[in-house]
Amino acid sequence: MEELLADVVGVLVTVVEACGAAVILIGAVWAFVRFVWVGVRRGGSHAFVPVRLTLGRFLALGLEFQLASDVLRTAVAPSFRELGQLAAVAAIRTALNYFLSREIAEERRQVAEETGAPAPDPASAEHRGRGV
Amino acid sequence: MTSLGAVPGLLALAVSGLALVAGTVALAATRRPALALAVLLDLLLAAGLLRLAAEPTWTSLGTAAAIVALRRLIGAGLRAGGRTLASAAPRAVRQENSAL
Repeated sequence: MEELLADVVGVLVTVVEACGAAVILIGAVWAFVRFVWVGVRRGGSHAFVPVRLTLGRFLALGLEFQLASDVLRTAVAPSFRELGQLAAVAAIRTALNYFLSREIAEERRQVAEETGAPAPDPASAEHRGRGV
Repeated sequence: MTSLGAVPGLLALAVSGLALVAGTVALAATRRPALALAVLLDLLLAAGLLRLAAEPTWTSLGTAAAIVALRRLIGAGLRAGGRTLASAAPRAVRQENSAL
């Protein structure tokens, strides 16, 4: 019974982690294309900030997928050594997520200041409610 | 604890290359090293997170944490410098006050 649980959790961890990696990869490639596009069109330095904001959101989402896989792994952590490594990974991912969300909030504030009127962002309410 | 094999590691390498190209393009387009550095670090962070997914070793953990710390430090330094420049220019201060 225990081996079955370990197998199922192992498959789930792989699937969730692949999802997280895919989200990060898609965000990075998309941001790269946008960066080059903005650079070629000479959009100026203001044009880079929205791209960086979007990339930050993609990274935060991917991190949350990876954190989910960490939580799944705690279900079947076999040894103390692996448990310690798992704790360190989870701690670093949580800290990354926290700082990333703070950075996103700060950049959004800068964008609002530059444009004058604070543009209402549909993701802001959801993001604030999800403070780690 | 590796479940995905070597694929994310290769992807992380590719994203690191993309980061270098994007940073160079940003530097050439805007001639602002601070912005180009931010772009480079953003994409390097993505590469670090991919590497973290591949093989959570102590080295990759340290690299990802160091990139984030570096970003915070550089960002704080740039903001402090920008504020000093803004207070040195009276027009910028007036604009800031009217914005508040």
